[in-house]
Amino acid sequence: MNEKFRKKSRKNTENEMLFRRSKKEKIFFGIAFAIMAVYAFTLLYSLFFLFINSLESSFAYTDKLTAAKNSFAFPEKLHWENYKKAFENLGFTSGTTGERIGLGNMFFNSAWYLFFRVGGNLFGCAAMAYALSKYRFKLNSAIYAIIIFSMTVPIVGTMGASFKLMSDLQIYNTPFFVILTSVSGIGFNFLILYGVFKNISWSYAEAVFVDGGGHFTVFFKIMLPQALTPILALAILSGIGEWNDYLTPLLYLPDFPTVASGIYQIKLESASRGDTPSYFAGLTLSVAPVLVLYACFSDTIMKNFNMGGLKG
Amino acid sequence: MNENISVSPVKKSKKNWFSGQTAFLIAIMTLPVINWLIFWLYININSILLAFQNRTGAWTLSNFKEVWISLVEPVDYGGSVQLALKNTLKYFGVNVLVLLPVGLILSYFIYKRIFGYRWFRVLFYLPSLVSAVALTTVYSEFINPNGPLGELLKKLGADVPPEGYLARNDTATTAIIWYSIWAGCGGHILLLGGAMSRIPPEIMEAAKIDGVSPLCELTAFILPLIWPTLSTMLIFQLTSFFTASGPIILFQPNGDYQTMTISFWIFKQVYGGGLPTASLSSGQINLISCTGLCFTAVGMPVILCVRRLLEKVPAVEY
Repeated sequence: MNEKFRKKSRKNTENEMLFRRSKKEKIFFGIAFAIMAVYAFTLLYSLFFLFINSLESSFAYTDKLTAAKNSFAFPEKLHWENYKKAFENLGFTSGTTGERIGLGNMFFNSAWYLFFRVGGNLFGCAAMAYALSKYRFKLNSAIYAIIIFSMTVPIVGTMGASFKLMSDLQIYNTPFFVILTSVSGIGFNFLILYGVFKNISWSYAEAVFVDGGGHFTVFFKIMLPQALTPILALAILSGIGEWNDYLTPLLYLPDFPTVASGIYQIKLESASRGDTPSYFAGLTLSVAPVLVLYACFSDTIMKNFNMGGLKG
Repeated sequence: MNENISVSPVKKSKKNWFSGQTAFLIAIMTLPVINWLIFWLYININSILLAFQNRTGAWTLSNFKEVWISLVEPVDYGGSVQLALKNTLKYFGVNVLVLLPVGLILSYFIYKRIFGYRWFRVLFYLPSLVSAVALTTVYSEFINPNGPLGELLKKLGADVPPEGYLARNDTATTAIIWYSIWAGCGGHILLLGGAMSRIPPEIMEAAKIDGVSPLCELTAFILPLIWPTLSTMLIFQLTSFFTASGPIILFQPNGDYQTMTISFWIFKQVYGGGLPTASLSSGQINLISCTGLCFTAVGMPVILCVRRLLEKVPAVEY
């Protein structure tokens, strides 16, 4: 107990020294605070603007757009029914099948899209990162160099060839596109996980080998659980990225629009634009899951990212 | 590489142990490797081949001629690639010269625990998490002549164009660049903040005792200590030399008002290519591949050289 208290008080003294500021510094930090606060306010206000106008009546919002009403004005009455309308009416007509695709379908598509993209990519990256960081084999350096090269070489304009391949493989506009393209072992997630596995001690594995365990046991039962927190942080961040990805579904999955790509297509359909507050309600619904997830896991996300250099 | 692997206690059955390791490695690496072979290597090789073919598959150099004309022809006469290149370089400049330094400064203040730093850390990362579709919609409404910012600017005496900043040739790209700055300022705090948090407090304490100024602290102490992370980020930024872009499609779905960038131009050529309603696409896969090949050929040596130079800067071990 005493030791714990001593450690804590020593840490506090260190912190006090590190973050003590002279008068000049206080002014400097004060100015910085003011600028940062204004910037933070604009970010918060943009979300508030979206939410508050999702509760506005359609006529009142048109008045705001034509300057008949102050654009900062609050709604006279909160129209919560806009959310119901958004869920029931927002949608667009598919260019290929001619079917109407609603917000409910988009949420469903987003769920499986996210599941396969994040799961596949994290599995691929974890497998490659673990193999390359913990095992010494002939092709190790070559594979690592290829991965880094693939990530850093500035290749432009392969979208055409990629699109052609998807069409030739007949996975264009099918869920197989998502499943087959996800298990990639390169990218930002690989770099982070490579660092994570490199820092986990190999003695745990040795203990498992002594007990007669194999490599699969070490990977699945020892190493992956030890890297669980960073993997969780990556999963959340990648999941948010996939939830918001509108270009891939727009290009390769026109009949399976996710929330992000679908809501963009709704915006393009002139018929839905008449009721802007309902559209805002749809946007708020699309943003809400991400904000809830971020609110719950912001600490996990913020404290688990370390990326080293790219030598190799 | 882990050195302890060779001193594994199961050395006596070396052959079995080795074959077990090989089987394990093959099992976990096969899928990612096949994925890379098909969706990276094959696509890139095929992209190079497509650049030398026409739509019927016959070998030709006409794509290069077309790219050259599009690059040197004045914008008003259809030089779409020239305009796209100009805009792309603007976005690239903003990414490297504005967003990265601003991200570094914001991360520094958060690291130095400025008042409310916990809130700032969470709030500044919000635009990276919120859907760009939502953010661009809000931004468009904001800068609308009758929107909150439009009204504010009018009150400050600015000459707000009645058609809006996004609907004019001379202001549309600037307006989208401002969006990119507004939404992208906090995008780097996650990695930079992570790198700064690993700096041993003793080093900063010593600097504090010596009475260094915040600027000196950032440039002479923190920068060298976070160099591995910073150089990696810089390399990734350089990789996007010819692909830097804002969310053009969300503001101008057709790239109107001279907002085109190279990556959006490529996207637009492909978008909708497989649909029965192919009106959205011009489907010129060969021309896209050729344009990409030209830019890759120019960019790759430059970026590999810069990467080499960056790697030569000695990293501080701690």
